[in-house]
Amino acid sequence: MVDYKPLNRFPGTRKEFDRQVESVCQECTVGCGLTVFLQDEAIADVQGIEHHLVSRGRLCSRGIAFAQGLRHPRRITIPASRNTLTQAFEASVSWEKALDLFAERLRRVRDREGAASLVIGCDPEAGLDFYVGARRFARLWGTPHVYHPWETPKATQDLPLKTPTAPCTQWVKSSCLLLVEADLAATHPVAFGWVLDAQTDGAKVIVVDTRFNVTMSKADLSLVIRPGAGNLFGLYLMKAILEENLQHAEALAANLELTPDWQTAYDALSWEALEPATGISREALINVVRFLAGKSSATIITGKRLEHSHSHGIWLTLCTAMGWTAKSDSGWYPLETGIPGFNCDSDIELPAADSIPPRAGFFPYQPFDTRGRKLAFKALIASGNCLADFFLPLRSQLRDAELVAFFGAFPNITCEQSHVVFPAAAWAERDGLFCSNDRALQWADRIATPADACRSGLDFWSGLAQRFGWQEYFPWFKKNGRADPVAFYEWLLRRSPDTHGCDLSRIRATDELLFWPADTEKLVRQQPPIFVSNNGKLRPTQPPAEITPMETSASEDMYPLAYQSTRVVSRSTDAAKWWPWTAELEDEKAVQIHPDTAQILGIENGDEVVVAGSRTCIEGRAWLSRMVDRRMIWSPQRLDETRVRVHKKGQTGEDALNLLKADSA
Amino acid sequence: MNKQRKHALMIDSSRCIGCHSCGVACKMEHELPAGPRPVKVIQIGPLDPNGSLVMRFETVTCFHCDRPACVSACPTGAMQKRPDGLVFSEPSLCIGCQTCAVACPFGIPELNPAAGKIAKCDGCRDRVDRGLWPACALKCPTGCLSYGSPSRVVQDLRTREALTVVRSVAVR
Repeated sequence: MVDYKPLNRFPGTRKEFDRQVESVCQECTVGCGLTVFLQDEAIADVQGIEHHLVSRGRLCSRGIAFAQGLRHPRRITIPASRNTLTQAFEASVSWEKALDLFAERLRRVRDREGAASLVIGCDPEAGLDFYVGARRFARLWGTPHVYHPWETPKATQDLPLKTPTAPCTQWVKSSCLLLVEADLAATHPVAFGWVLDAQTDGAKVIVVDTRFNVTMSKADLSLVIRPGAGNLFGLYLMKAILEENLQHAEALAANLELTPDWQTAYDALSWEALEPATGISREALINVVRFLAGKSSATIITGKRLEHSHSHGIWLTLCTAMGWTAKSDSGWYPLETGIPGFNCDSDIELPAADSIPPRAGFFPYQPFDTRGRKLAFKALIASGNCLADFFLPLRSQLRDAELVAFFGAFPNITCEQSHVVFPAAAWAERDGLFCSNDRALQWADRIATPADACRSGLDFWSGLAQRFGWQEYFPWFKKNGRADPVAFYEWLLRRSPDTHGCDLSRIRATDELLFWPADTEKLVRQQPPIFVSNNGKLRPTQPPAEITPMETSASEDMYPLAYQSTRVVSRSTDAAKWWPWTAELEDEKAVQIHPDTAQILGIENGDEVVVAGSRTCIEGRAWLSRMVDRRMIWSPQRLDETRVRVHKKGQTGEDALNLLKADSA
Repeated sequence: MNKQRKHALMIDSSRCIGCHSCGVACKMEHELPAGPRPVKVIQIGPLDPNGSLVMRFETVTCFHCDRPACVSACPTGAMQKRPDGLVFSEPSLCIGCQTCAVACPFGIPELNPAAGKIAKCDGCRDRVDRGLWPACALKCPTGCLSYGSPSRVVQDLRTREALTVVRSVAVR
């Protein structure tokens, strides 16, 4: 037995400081502990908290560089407005005057166009309080159009709740970690440290993703799949496990509600459809099964993208069938599901719920109503840089918009398209509750005083609601025009059956991590979740009757390359793009092209290129890399397209298409 | 930590994920603007040597050479080597002539355009003198960077490698 003791760490600061604050980093959803040292209210140093269970004193580049954003020279710190987009902004006298003006203009739009002509985009950067405030305001206003990337279909929300998943600190106890479309090394670097620790401890790491990313480069076994095929890969894994009889028979019988046609549905799944649909061979899939088979503990970590495609529940079915659920060292760990399902507006009775037209679907935003008619909004309240992100499809619809309000911190694309600007407080400038990926609840103390007139999302919505006489629905509003975050989060914790019994004062007082739904008085749900049958067993996810190969669309011929955009390690929010320390690390304009594809198209490293889909295009600089396969293009820039063609500036898309066709021939 | 005692920064590239945390930590510690990067992370690959892709990241910083060319070349005596081995540029003596940058075979010293003086890794000498770890090692999220006496660091690396081999053959 080797007695291994890691090197002693000697933390601390050498900088002069007059006060220090312990808080929680909110650049991603890991929830790392921070100690911030301030001198004359300016941040002098940022250190990790050594005894923090998850971060262990470590921080990523974003968690250190956030300090640059607070006193950035281009930070928006005062409200401003203009009548038309061609005019320059004029600074408002005060926040209150700006809200008065905005409320009046918003009222006029409602009178003319109706309540449902308002749409609200909530960027995670604006905080949980902004989203909850938006939901309440929209309910009172009478519009269903509130969008947030955290939104998940109800069915998906219920899935992981049924099987509490071990936090990332327990990954070291797993025998195997399977990461599917989850580039943890780029999105959650500190949590990825636990993956590497598990690997050092002997766990096998399998990574399945759409390109050869950083996470994949550390894997023991890796597979590149087609974009959008993650859940299908899970269905085929299940099929292979059942065919080889590798499932955990006792766990299967005890926890799954098996129907006679359950296994038949998997039998009917065609092996021939595997490769055209997922891009991987049967042999490669069987190889993954060999890694997983017989493991008493394994953790499956899935990315947020999978949540929005069919059969997302397969991962819970798979874990249950293999006996990995409800254990402290294994299970399903879906990323970005750490926010409890809060009933933000169920206490509001007027206007009547049935008078509000329903939305066509959950996030991501679809520009159509339930009857398939194109939506036409006249007013938008946008936070962060959502018009360059999840609201990209909305940009073309905003030509007729009469009023766009921006709640943010930097003069980004969304700000450029707005009529009224409200300066937002950064996460480090507001007190709040932080819900991590692990479903830990932590209180994040305000680190610095907000610059000038910057305010929290709760301040914004409370102030706006007051102007419409709805202050009783925002009772946290104080006489000084600010909202009380402690009272608000105490109320919010009571608005979810998963956090109903949580005591905010205990969360604020302790250094320990408190998880939901543990330590809570769980309320009986009014309706049973649809994935769980009445006898408490899980209804297994079944494969669809027919697998449609992805390469059948008509656009395939005209736009032969798949396009994907994912986050890069130095940027999580729009604000991170403005910090000099992180802005210089990675080229936001980079366009990854496989060297073979680039050779066909005559593109060289660093060339200015155009990536064009059927509706929109972006420009960037070519980065020839095998991280993408021959038929894929990747860039950090968002593009509202999944199929594209790429060409050098000066050439045309048709030229590029002809070259690719000639090569295929 | 004793000022005369030598220390070593261990870089375990197998754990580097190219997150640039070390570089940003260094910049915050030394209050540097955009531009000079005393700690850099370089992506190598993906390469395709045997039909399967390989990619890794290398953390690059000053090697604090035994016989540093930058120290010999510096015309003002700003570039110095301490008894504990750390090579640093004394800002009060540096005139920003960048002779050290030319002399260094690894291209480590860079000009800090805001100060007009050389910026390079000084081993976080002010932190080390207070008994603290260098900022880059302390904040590294994956444990790629660690710090200690040369013998302890080597022992740690050996033990970790041995354990990795043992655990890879053990059945979990």
